[in-house]
Amino acid sequence: MSAKLLKAFAGIILCAVGITSAQGHNDVAPLPPPYAGHYQPEGRDEVGLWQLDDENERRLANAPILIRDEALTDYVHEILCRTVGDDRCGSIRTYIIREPTFNATMSPNGTMRVFSGLLLRMRSEAELAAILGHEFGHFEKRHSLNGFRSRRRGTDILAWSALLVSAAPSQQGFRNHQNLELSVYGELFSYKRNQEREADLLGLGYLNASEYRPQSASEVWTNLMGEIEASARVRGKRKPNFKRVAFTASHPPQGERAAYLKALADPQGYNRDDGALRYREMLAPFLSLFLEDQVRHNDFGATQYILNSLGDLGWNADLYFAQGEMYRSRGNQRDFANAIESFEAALELDSTMAAAYRGLGLCLIRAGDRSRGREALKSYLELAPEAEDSAMILMMIG
Amino acid sequence: MRAVFLSILLSCFLLWPNVALSQERSATRQGFDLQAQSGQTILVFRPAVQVGSQSMGGMFEPDADWTLKARDHIAAALKEQQSKLGNTILEAPEAYGEDAELLYEYQMLFGAVAEAVREYQFFVGNRLPTKKRDNKDDIFDWSLGPGVADLPGAADADYALFIYNRDEYGSTGRKILQVGLALFGGIGVQSGVHVGYAGLVDLKTGNLLWINVDGQMGGDVREADGAQKRVRQLLEEFPGSELEK
Repeated sequence: MSAKLLKAFAGIILCAVGITSAQGHNDVAPLPPPYAGHYQPEGRDEVGLWQLDDENERRLANAPILIRDEALTDYVHEILCRTVGDDRCGSIRTYIIREPTFNATMSPNGTMRVFSGLLLRMRSEAELAAILGHEFGHFEKRHSLNGFRSRRRGTDILAWSALLVSAAPSQQGFRNHQNLELSVYGELFSYKRNQEREADLLGLGYLNASEYRPQSASEVWTNLMGEIEASARVRGKRKPNFKRVAFTASHPPQGERAAYLKALADPQGYNRDDGALRYREMLAPFLSLFLEDQVRHNDFGATQYILNSLGDLGWNADLYFAQGEMYRSRGNQRDFANAIESFEAALELDSTMAAAYRGLGLCLIRAGDRSRGREALKSYLELAPEAEDSAMILMMIG
Repeated sequence: MRAVFLSILLSCFLLWPNVALSQERSATRQGFDLQAQSGQTILVFRPAVQVGSQSMGGMFEPDADWTLKARDHIAAALKEQQSKLGNTILEAPEAYGEDAELLYEYQMLFGAVAEAVREYQFFVGNRLPTKKRDNKDDIFDWSLGPGVADLPGAADADYALFIYNRDEYGSTGRKILQVGLALFGGIGVQSGVHVGYAGLVDLKTGNLLWINVDGQMGGDVREADGAQKRVRQLLEEFPGSELEK
């Protein structure tokens, strides 16, 4: 997309959302609108949606899928506050969900769900801030409510059309109804995509105004495209097209998002801190759990991509172990050699890592080296005598 | 071809079929008999109540005011009718921390079991062969497991009653659509959804003693009188009861 087109596109979006771009010559996403006080639902639809959502949140708060780590939850919430400001973030409750996919959601009443798969993929506080700011944008612009209303409008129109067609049935009338259906649903999906674009720009506006480096927002999507490509390559699929918009796509394509977020990031913020080191330090204790879930996700190319990305500053035992588990779980004979190498590398860095001895032993036995395999399993049981699978492992040691 | 397929697919959103639920059925565990006036204590967890309307296109429109009213009315009606049976209703205490997490899991479990009863034992269509055989032999055998004894408030009660209720009142547009389509096209569209189930669980064994699933309930839960009628229908054939309909 050329810069000119992009400018025009951004202009359209800004007009649509009613933000007047006072400095038309500025090439950055605008500052967020002034804070309008605590967000409260208004009218039957919104009060109803909030109440429904309050019930959901009540359940969520007790659900086993939550990662109940106060330090981690506070840390993520603090990043949100540093991005959107303390007054705004007071309306939001942040929950960390144990799910190994790239996602975060915001629901009408201000419940923010951050998935563990997102935390694994983000490489700095600024990248996470970009996503959290985007989600807050949905909340600030009441997207759930507006989406609900647009869906209701669309399905009502179709209901009327169905009624009229049935009152005067004709071939042409039926065909018109079918066309109307396509355009109404096409419109609904494109409405959703425009909401995402609006939230992207609002999120970037927060980031521009924050202490974080706004260029990170675009890098999130560049990095994700790399992961999707790696995943497709291993599966033997064609290179994905990051510009194409499918009829039912809920989000704009990653290529488009990366391009406009890059173009609209404030250049003056380029040298700001992105908090990458703090982020790594904070996430380090959770890395092995998040990686374990990712490996079980059975997406070989993506896992490899994530490991390489996390290992750019040097590989630690957790990363080597996860790589070993990745090969072991695919479990072709040719994978065991790689797995053994990875487990040995992990043990070299941390000789007390019981699970690495387990993986090493199991792989050695599968690869035909039974005596060394039994030795490794013995070390495993010495380090973890109470392990759940100790009875089974004992049997294998013989 | 793709467009046709898509349009059929999308029409499904519009004319949401709700066939399996438009029936009613209840069952009691073999050998279980709750004598009237035997003074049992029944623990009731916060009833899952959701009330709103149904848009012309069939979407659920939640209504906070109706929901709050219905929750109060249903709770009051429940208390009154159980006291007629000689049972005491004990409202479960507010749970915190691990208790609340345990309760969450059991509420989800009850929902899954009730759903399985409905789908695989009660209604024609997808019943399991083993459950069909059970139906013939008058066997009703489901359980949440003895872990229910650890639920908050379980120590002070004999049974637990789980209640689920969802109402979508047909909007004017939906009613026009219903009448119009029936008139012109002979197509049946449902206007309004009124689904509920109630289940009684033994707090010592976790066995499901009685359950009632109703896909077409009467009584306007937004009013006190209507809620009385609704609860009567929910508790129809409640063991030991001969409540008037």
